Amino acid sequence: MKQTPELDRIQARMRPGVLTMKGFLGTDPRPLADILAEDDAAVRAAGVTHAQIADRLEAITRAGTDLMEAETIVENRFRVVVRDDRGLLPSPFGDGRFSKGDTEVTDPVTGRTFRWNGLTLHLIRHHGFYNGKGSDYRLDPAVLIEVFGIAPAPDQT
Amino acid sequence: MIEVLTGIAVLSGVSAGLTVLLLIAEAWFADYGECVIDVNAGERQYKVKGGSSLLRTLSEQKLFLPSGCGGRGSCGTCKCRVLEGGGPILPTETPYLNETERRSQVRLSCQVKVKENIRIEVPAELLNVREFVATTVRITQLTHDIRGLRFELPPGETIKFKAGQFVNLVSQPYGDVTESTSRAYSISSPPSDNRALELVIRLVPNGMVTTWVFQHLKEGQPVTLIGPYGEFFLRESSREIIFIAGGSGLAPIRSIILDMIDRGITHRPATFFFGAVKRRDLYYVEEFERIAAQHPWFRYKPALSGDETDHPYERGLITDVVARHYGTLDHHEAYLCGSPGMINACVKVLTQKGLPEHLIFYDKFS
Repeated sequence: MKQTPELDRIQARMRPGVLTMKGFLGTDPRPLADILAEDDAAVRAAGVTHAQIADRLEAITRAGTDLMEAETIVENRFRVVVRDDRGLLPSPFGDGRFSKGDTEVTDPVTGRTFRWNGLTLHLIRHHGFYNGKGSDYRLDPAVLIEVFGIAPAPDQT
Repeated sequence: MIEVLTGIAVLSGVSAGLTVLLLIAEAWFADYGECVIDVNAGERQYKVKGGSSLLRTLSEQKLFLPSGCGGRGSCGTCKCRVLEGGGPILPTETPYLNETERRSQVRLSCQVKVKENIRIEVPAELLNVREFVATTVRITQLTHDIRGLRFELPPGETIKFKAGQFVNLVSQPYGDVTESTSRAYSISSPPSDNRALELVIRLVPNGMVTTWVFQHLKEGQPVTLIGPYGEFFLRESSREIIFIAGGSGLAPIRSIILDMIDRGITHRPATFFFGAVKRRDLYYVEEFERIAAQHPWFRYKPALSGDETDHPYERGLITDVVARHYGTLDHHEAYLCGSPGMINACVKVLTQKGLPEHLIFYDKFS
């Protein structure tokens, strides 16, 4: 994937302090095109799609929504809290605003914790962007696929 | 070596020359001269220097359209109708405009450049919005992640607002945040306290403005507030009132209840359900308990959904508490403030109890 001027502009909006305090790139020094390409390759290698991953995470968020931030156990495994923060976060791709309330997930089996919000899911679903390495919101697609058991859809195998 | 240095010098000179030429050309060709902005069919007219965005130009004239991103074209809130002179809709606007809005000539004012005379239409109430440079006189830690702030207006200035409305708080640059940013917060003080404003702000992880409030804002510091905005306020009726809030959603409800006391509205029974997870998430408890003790028309029902048992409050999700509390809702109206999730769940419960949706008022802040 080529780092186009448009990707340059998007990457500029991902810097800390532009749209969010810490930005979207963490400590990742790579061009956005490389970040997108590497994560896309990981998802393709697993035979799944970005939309499948976003759908899976969104289902977990839904299970914890409307509980006014009370912790709940989802699928007899994941400890989930959905924060009720009001307001919206703008997409660095300039295609809308999305809820900022975080879903915080702890997996006691692997000891891993995950965090995402409405914007994170939009960026995964529509742009294949999982945040840069070192970002508080970085979600390694390979880890997501493994921990949340995301399998190829029957018509993709 | 000399040739290389000479080459660099020549190249630098040419670049500098071109830059100067470009600056001159921009000043010459991009000089749009004086333009007239007509607001609401002549209700206001501003003679302005063209060249800036409509949003910025209007704010320089003290007409403040709501904006959540400071004019970066990323929040989609600074909409107004541009009836003449705005040029074509830009690609940067299209994600934020639906078909109806496009047909109605709605534009993002931050993306419209003032290049000629412009006719616009804005909601009439925006003409009353003002900018205040107030002083932070009190910061109170209300819970582990919620602060109450009191700002005093400059001597002689007052603000007129309806209980339930909100203002935009403008943060200052800090750390990596190099520009001022604004966010909307409900006013928690009553309109009678018109020489000051109180806000209730919850810390949002990595939030640009709330981090500034919690880590940088100090008592004595000046802040910019713009407002009032909003359509969330008590409707005139004789119906019994159900207030439901969670987290910082308490703020506008507090303003409305204090305003009811100030205005002597005693003929409408009102119950305030406040939902939280743990005891540590409750605040203003003593104040509401005192109001309930002094005013027979008011009842206060805090509820905790966590697993704590050593408390005197209602237990369970606020939706369950409300459902337990009422039978059929046939002479009520409801005012809700909280997250979209909380509001959706409450609307579902209230409508199941027979309350028509048009009698449920809320501000989702979404």
